[in-house]
Amino acid sequence: MMDAVAMTNERNQMFRDLFSGKTPQRVPISNPATQDFAIQYAGLDLAECQWDLTKLEQVYNKFCQDFFTDTYPGGSIRIPSHYQILGSTCIVMSSSGFMQHPEVVGLLAEEYDQFIASPYDCLVETILPRLYTELNGSPAKVAMALAKAMRAKSDDLAYLGTIQAKMNAKYGYATMVRALTEAPFDFLADFLRSFKGISGDVRRCPDKVAAACEAVLPLMIKKGTLPNSSMLGATFIPLHMAPYLRDKDFATLYWPTFKKLVETLVGMGQKVELFVEQDWMRYLDYLYELPENTIMRFEYGDAKLVKEKLGKKHIISGFYPVTLLQTGSKQQCVDKAKELLDILAPGGKYWWQADKSIINLDVNGPVVENLRAVLDYVHENGSY
Amino acid sequence: MIDLQVLTQAVGDLDEKAILTMVKDFVATNPSGEDAQKVVFACQQGMAIVGDLFEKNEYYVGDLIFAGELLSQTIDLLKPVLSSVVTQKVGSIVIGTVEGDLHDIGKNIFGSMAEAAGFEVYDLGIDVSPGAFVEKVKEVKPQIIGMSGVLTLAIDPMKNTVKALNEAGLRDSVKIIIGGNPVNADACKQIGADAFTTNAAEGLKTCQGWVK
Amino acid sequence: MLGGEDKMDSKYYITWEEYLADHPELERKSKQAIEPKIQKYEDIMFTFIMDLVL
Ligand code: B12
Repeated sequence: MMDAVAMTNERNQMFRDLFSGKTPQRVPISNPATQDFAIQYAGLDLAECQWDLTKLEQVYNKFCQDFFTDTYPGGSIRIPSHYQILGSTCIVMSSSGFMQHPEVVGLLAEEYDQFIASPYDCLVETILPRLYTELNGSPAKVAMALAKAMRAKSDDLAYLGTIQAKMNAKYGYATMVRALTEAPFDFLADFLRSFKGISGDVRRCPDKVAAACEAVLPLMIKKGTLPNSSMLGATFIPLHMAPYLRDKDFATLYWPTFKKLVETLVGMGQKVELFVEQDWMRYLDYLYELPENTIMRFEYGDAKLVKEKLGKKHIISGFYPVTLLQTGSKQQCVDKAKELLDILAPGGKYWWQADKSIINLDVNGPVVENLRAVLDYVHENGSY
Repeated sequence: MIDLQVLTQAVGDLDEKAILTMVKDFVATNPSGEDAQKVVFACQQGMAIVGDLFEKNEYYVGDLIFAGELLSQTIDLLKPVLSSVVTQKVGSIVIGTVEGDLHDIGKNIFGSMAEAAGFEVYDLGIDVSPGAFVEKVKEVKPQIIGMSGVLTLAIDPMKNTVKALNEAGLRDSVKIIIGGNPVNADACKQIGADAFTTNAAEGLKTCQGWVK
Repeated sequence: MLGGEDKMDSKYYITWEEYLADHPELERKSKQAIEPKIQKYEDIMFTFIMDLVL
């Protein structure tokens, strides 16, 4: 049995190879299940554990022990404390304890010009006070709320960071850093104009939408910048709105600033990992244009076609349907993993991830068994 | 009098300015309730064009949302002159986003298309418990229930809702359709729904088939 | 260079050069030690703010 440090080194090498376009020793794997799943898997209360993080070490221990993965399985987390302290209306806990995003409007249509003139000022002065009730009021109240929230988040992140370090040391995971940013159009849509708002703007004031995307691009670049570009890791960019747009709106409003974002980050020496959400099959020619070895994790679409069109230039990931783990038999789940491995692994440039995060656990359902079987199958059969 | 065919086409084209000008001019003539009803009907036919273009991949979800907004603006304008006539409904649907999920964009799109197609739509909102579905079904006795969810965690609550309807002895009195990103044939079977879709226009056709 | 901040042009994001121009007294003190610290908290605040709308 290899010790954990050697395993970390080996896995880091695997990802370095993958990211530079070399064939790694085997297909690297990331467990798609998240902290929410892990808490429920440990039989604990979801809401309580997200408030009282001290329970999480045992949660992660069990989770890491029981499910194979090459990277720490604690991705995409929203911790409730600072959202609560700030009076968040845009990220709230649902009855199940899952942190969710209801449709809200942070920026009004008549505020486009203000936003375009200085997006960051507008965020601080207009958008945040609208989305976070405690950031709206007297300067003293706002200052207090902000200070408490900063401290809460920083405490929570530090605590989670300690757990991650312990798990990395124990299970020998690859040690990668991550930055998060968004395509300018998605940033404008998600928390600012809302899905509904942006859908109207695209028809009513496309020029302003385009100008707003340009204006916000420097912020998105800065947000996506890694602490040090030579570190092993990538800037993660989840992609949202493109499948809901007409081709011509995509071409004029979405693509130009998104492409600049990716090119700039890559130009700075960083890797970029796109989460290509929903179905992008009609945009494959665009994706091809992006700098070589861009990582693309797909949700839906034709894996064969993607391998054919993009697989020589870019690093492909995703496609594995999480819903199958909920409804399929173990054999069906493993067969699906084999099918994707056969299509996507040849020639390297494949990273096993699922099409979605697994964000909950039905204790009576088959997901635990199915997920474990799939992870083990890919681990055992993914060697080059 | 307003040219109904032109109006229908303008709705199909999602030409906001043209639609609003036409409808405002029409309302200014102080029309009869019956004529106003014809205008509503023309808009509904325009929405059917929108649905067709969506199915042909000429329009996308963003366009459906915009269409829903245009339609509700139009109905608001017409309300004052509409009040005198009782409208004939083609059927009734109870819709809601299931427990644990707070996403309503897809549900709202379907709701406004169903309304435009002449359904009486009772919208229970988001994070709707099985019990709340059961209560509403008892109260309004709809022909159809539409459950929506964006997250995979919606599958279990959908299952539980069907179970609750069964236990209340109501399952056989309604048709159930589920919609949203995580639904598919297997999920539909497990949940015990009658139909599933990830496409609002297709879902509407299914519902129309049920009330024929 | 950190990407983009040169073009951010905001009253709420102050680059070190701007900061120094406003606090000339720091010129004489341990500039090399102060700069990264002031810059660090400027950047932490930026990330915190942006994460609230991401
Ligand atoms: C946009 C988006 C967001 C936006 C939401 C913006 C907003 N205003 O709502 C933002 C950025 C805030 C966001 C945040 C998150 N998201 Co998100 N998001 C999406 C995305 C890209 C689109 C969802 C959407 O709104 N679609 C548009 C609607 C209109 O489509 P629809 O619901 O399918 O509806 C259509 C049909 O299905 C049908 N329909 C719908 N309901 C009904 C009902 C009936 C009766 C009928 C007949 C028809 C019908 O009609 C519609 C039109 O045809 C999806 C990807 C995807 N494939 O869906 C991920 C996705 C939903 N997100 C996901 C996640 C994980 C998150 C986060 C948890 C990430 C994080 N860690 O923070 C957060 C917070 C959780 C949350 N979503 O609340 C995951 C969920 C994974 C899972 N296991 O379910 C997805 C699937 C992405 C992925 N591949 O992993 N998200």
